[in-house]
Amino acid sequence: MRGDASTVPPIETRDLTKEYGSVIANDSLSFTVKRGEVFGFLGPNGAGKSTTIRLLLGLIRPTSGTATVLGADVHDEPALVDAKRRIGYLPARLGFNEEVTGRAVLEYHASIKGDSRLAELLEMFTPPIERPIREYSTGNKRMLGVIQAFMHDPDLVIMDEPTSGLDPLKQEEFNEFIRAERDQGTTVFLSSHVLSEVRRICDRVGIIREGTLVELEDVDTLLSRGGKRVRVTTRGESGSRLASLDGVVDIQRFPDGVQFIYTGEYNALLRALVKHDVREIDIAEPPLEDVFIHYYGESESENTDGIGGADV
Amino acid sequence: MFETARYEIGRRLRETAFLSVAVSLYAAFIVWYYTVLEGVAIEEVFEELPPAMMEAFGIETLSTIEGFLGAQIYNFVWILGLGLYFAYVAGGSIATDIESDRMEILLSFPITRSQLLVERLASLLLPIVVVNVVVGCVVYLLAAAIGEQMNVTHLAATHALSIPYLFVCTAIGLVFSVAADRAAIAERGAVGVVFVLFLVESIVGGASEYEWIQYVSPTQYYDPTPLLIDGSYELIDTGILLVTFAGLVLLSQILFYRRDV
Repeated sequence: MRGDASTVPPIETRDLTKEYGSVIANDSLSFTVKRGEVFGFLGPNGAGKSTTIRLLLGLIRPTSGTATVLGADVHDEPALVDAKRRIGYLPARLGFNEEVTGRAVLEYHASIKGDSRLAELLEMFTPPIERPIREYSTGNKRMLGVIQAFMHDPDLVIMDEPTSGLDPLKQEEFNEFIRAERDQGTTVFLSSHVLSEVRRICDRVGIIREGTLVELEDVDTLLSRGGKRVRVTTRGESGSRLASLDGVVDIQRFPDGVQFIYTGEYNALLRALVKHDVREIDIAEPPLEDVFIHYYGESESENTDGIGGADV
Repeated sequence: MFETARYEIGRRLRETAFLSVAVSLYAAFIVWYYTVLEGVAIEEVFEELPPAMMEAFGIETLSTIEGFLGAQIYNFVWILGLGLYFAYVAGGSIATDIESDRMEILLSFPITRSQLLVERLASLLLPIVVVNVVVGCVVYLLAAAIGEQMNVTHLAATHALSIPYLFVCTAIGLVFSVAADRAAIAERGAVGVVFVLFLVESIVGGASEYEWIQYVSPTQYYDPTPLLIDGSYELIDTGILLVTFAGLVLLSQILFYRRDV
């Protein structure tokens, strides 16, 4: 069993397609997740990320194409069941039975999957396992979900929006944990709609939009193209000089300031900024939709030269 | 093996206990009521009823404890009450998990859909057996307490042969549960079908032209009052119920195997 894992990619999809009537949730997806990497599946809500995950786990059937998970074809139930012994899954919505205690849930999971790492995980993540689930906060449910996904020491862990609901501190702990898992050889496949989340823990990223895989690349490459969203409020004449900088795109003006996506060199931006009387500045991760629009084609607002801001 | 059944049975312990206690209390009330009515010419009251009504309520004789309990407890609570209850519970079983996305985790387990469904079904069937055993004993003891000696074999047969009938009601619920996307739909559908089948048998029973329709109803194959009074039953009826049960379980297996969750 374990011998297979070294040669077969943990996840491989070939023209994987799922249609719901006339809606194409996944359109001919082909990608491979390499062994021992953290693969981020990035896309806006409704792009088809969960559909792919459900296809991989055999929860739904592909309309066409196929996928293998730890070498098991998703059409082959016995093989997939066997592979699931070595798969952990953290769904986006955790539907635990509300009336049972966390301990009862974990005991049930342990009886089916095993619990070789349970004690260690309970030291790291600390949901109140003696209490019934209905008393759990979202964060506690999330932690219970993480524990059940890793408790049987799986080779592959699939997570759907894993950090939604975790507070920032727990999120950082979680990222740390995922990195450590990766270093020990576990393959992680996680979906997210938050670029900043993915960039912190993923080695490679696949970007899905409207069911289609638009990019598959290293996180570093993605970052160099992703840029920052800069929003500056200035006194006096607002930043026309900023707009002429190299690497400034998607300029939007408002009465006393300007907002744009900056993909250029940071020092150049800072030098330009000191020439203005800056009242307020906010440099942040661009929303994922903007990244798509400006770096993956299909732009609806092509006003990249700065003239288009005349509406304000 | 059976981890899921064990877990689900654990979850159902409390509701099984409540159900057993509630039905036992109702039985106690009926037995007490029987002592109150003793000496009253109750049968004369019921003679006024139309025959279809007598048939629907399983009234044969109300002057003996067997006849009285058969009409007041078994025809009413067993065939209608518990039939509807178990159809409802089974209707919610899988559909609730699909609706709450809990099924996603369950299906990520190294276990086939077919095994998962069988174990879930097993956890639904256990309360049926428990309620029968508990209430059977309670009824016997209560009757003894008022000085009526009930025939143990007849009483045991009445309970034992109700099990295939209740299994069928559960399986009707299970089919709805794997077919529907929402628990509320599955529950209402299952309850509706079992209730309609009960009505069909009661109403059509009298009309000879449409007599055949009554044979589609599982209630046709379990008749507690004669069982309780003189222990008479047809083994073929039990056979039909068990075959129907197996057929419905197979159908739900196929539906569950093929569906997207």
